[in-house]
Amino acid sequence: MNIGIILAGGQGTRMGITSTPKQFIEVYGKPIVIHTIEAFDVHPEIDRIAVVCHNDFHDEMRIWIRKFELSKVQWIVDAGETRQKSVYNGLQAIRDQVSDDDIVVIHDSARPLISSRIISDNIKYVKQYGAVDTVIPASDTIIKSLDGVFMDSVPIRKELFIGQTPQSFYYHVIESAHRQAVDEDIQDATDDCQLIIKQGKTKVSLVQGEKMNFKITTMDDLLMLKAVLKMSKLEWI
Amino acid sequence: MFSKGFKIVDKKRFDLYIEEVSPQEDEAIVKIETAALCKADLRYYLGDRDARTLGLKYPMNLIHEAVGVVVKDPTGRFQSGQRVTLCPNIVSEEDRQKYKVCRMEGLGENYCPTASFASSNYNGFSRSYLSFKADNLIPLPEGLPNSVLVFSELISVAISALRRIPILANDVIGIWGDGVVGYILQAVLSVIHKGRVIVVGKHDDKLRKFEGAVTYKYTDEKLRNEQIDIAVECIGGRAAESGIDQIIDVIQPGGRVILTGVTESKVAINTRKILEKGISMYGVTRSNVEDFKKATALFYHRDFCRKIESLVLDELTILDINDYYAVFEKEADNRDLGKYVMHFMF
Repeated sequence: MNIGIILAGGQGTRMGITSTPKQFIEVYGKPIVIHTIEAFDVHPEIDRIAVVCHNDFHDEMRIWIRKFELSKVQWIVDAGETRQKSVYNGLQAIRDQVSDDDIVVIHDSARPLISSRIISDNIKYVKQYGAVDTVIPASDTIIKSLDGVFMDSVPIRKELFIGQTPQSFYYHVIESAHRQAVDEDIQDATDDCQLIIKQGKTKVSLVQGEKMNFKITTMDDLLMLKAVLKMSKLEWI
Repeated sequence: MFSKGFKIVDKKRFDLYIEEVSPQEDEAIVKIETAALCKADLRYYLGDRDARTLGLKYPMNLIHEAVGVVVKDPTGRFQSGQRVTLCPNIVSEEDRQKYKVCRMEGLGENYCPTASFASSNYNGFSRSYLSFKADNLIPLPEGLPNSVLVFSELISVAISALRRIPILANDVIGIWGDGVVGYILQAVLSVIHKGRVIVVGKHDDKLRKFEGAVTYKYTDEKLRNEQIDIAVECIGGRAAESGIDQIIDVIQPGGRVILTGVTESKVAINTRKILEKGISMYGVTRSNVEDFKKATALFYHRDFCRKIESLVLDELTILDINDYYAVFEKEADNRDLGKYVMHFMF
């Protein structure tokens, strides 16, 4: 079984809209998170979906699931204070209904333009390697600066990639990495693959992402999303 | 949900469009998996139509030959994951009742004044997901590769051509044209017609691939010895004129001619000889849902599938717009008997 875990616990403080977290902002009649869930809901290889969001939004999420006829969402899980805690909560919530060799595909709700191909490749490469991260090659030169004032070094670009999501794993692989992090009091991992690498048991394979799979983090990102959505309702030519 | 698609916006120029897909009450959502180009798509791409027509068409999703899977069907007629092909010829029930021609056997939907056709006056299938009338989705048999199933539309066009007139079991049928349409027509006839079938073409290498048919180079004088009752013109373009002329010349008195090839310019035909021989001519372009059903039934014939499979020149993965451009360029240069098949992965 393949389970999508959609992380919708962010507060959206970088959007300049404090009252509405970014993933709940409506774009052309639907909250961004719903656009994202739909990509998983129609994917033939995704069997069930868990949505992780703050308790305040659970009822709204239930309403949207009905309204937009999402059929695979089985769990609505409380978000934690950090991304790491939210993923952990999601993994714990599904624990009783999954087996160790089930695959979890963990995705940011604020990346609504995920393609079916990326989800398929995540699942395919987990079966081969156990853990995968979705990345795109760095196209800009990356500058390293420890103080933000002076340049320290310029890493070799061809060795650098930009991390996206999904990050996907066999359930037992990611669950044990999270449990170890709890045991070691690691609380600030910004992505799950860091925990896998730290654990050192499983190599993380790379799946080719897409520039369009960008994350809506700032107002500029939201404007970019709207710019690329050419909502041509005019079907007749 | 969001769907990515490529629309032609100008000659040799596509743009990426991301659009919301929301089905109407009679529609299902289909994920397009595999597609192939038609000559009509190429004409839009190369700008081989008059400027006014192109101006009225752009921007538009091209492609009307595709295989997909149903991912959501609010009408309840299809299972999620069911493989289907899409009939691009769309006519509403209202129009069917309103116009007599829409209900006429032999003519039907395609000649309905208000019919729409995907990739002609309606957006085509070059999209990751689309919502489409459930009535126009035709289930496909299991166990065959999409690269074969994607020829459903062309096979249905062959069926629609043969539906145009009554055909007797001993009628001699001549096919003019050694391209993909002619090849498929001959493959269809090899299953459904017991009488003699001959193929007239220009290229020795292509004619050799018409398995089981009697073939003639168009310059072969022995062609005149054939007693052809029905001729199907599958040439199109500028060469259609000389092909039609030859048909009129060699067909039996009282013969019937079905024209399927599209020409952009006017074709001069020998009306004197048509009158003298009492020849009837019929026009055919597109197929309807019933033609598709008959076409997909042919996939249960193993030998037929093998013949269709030989039309696949290559299978290409479309990850992005660059891959999509590349297929149009390859198809524009293609002089072989067959097509490039695209697997959509975007």
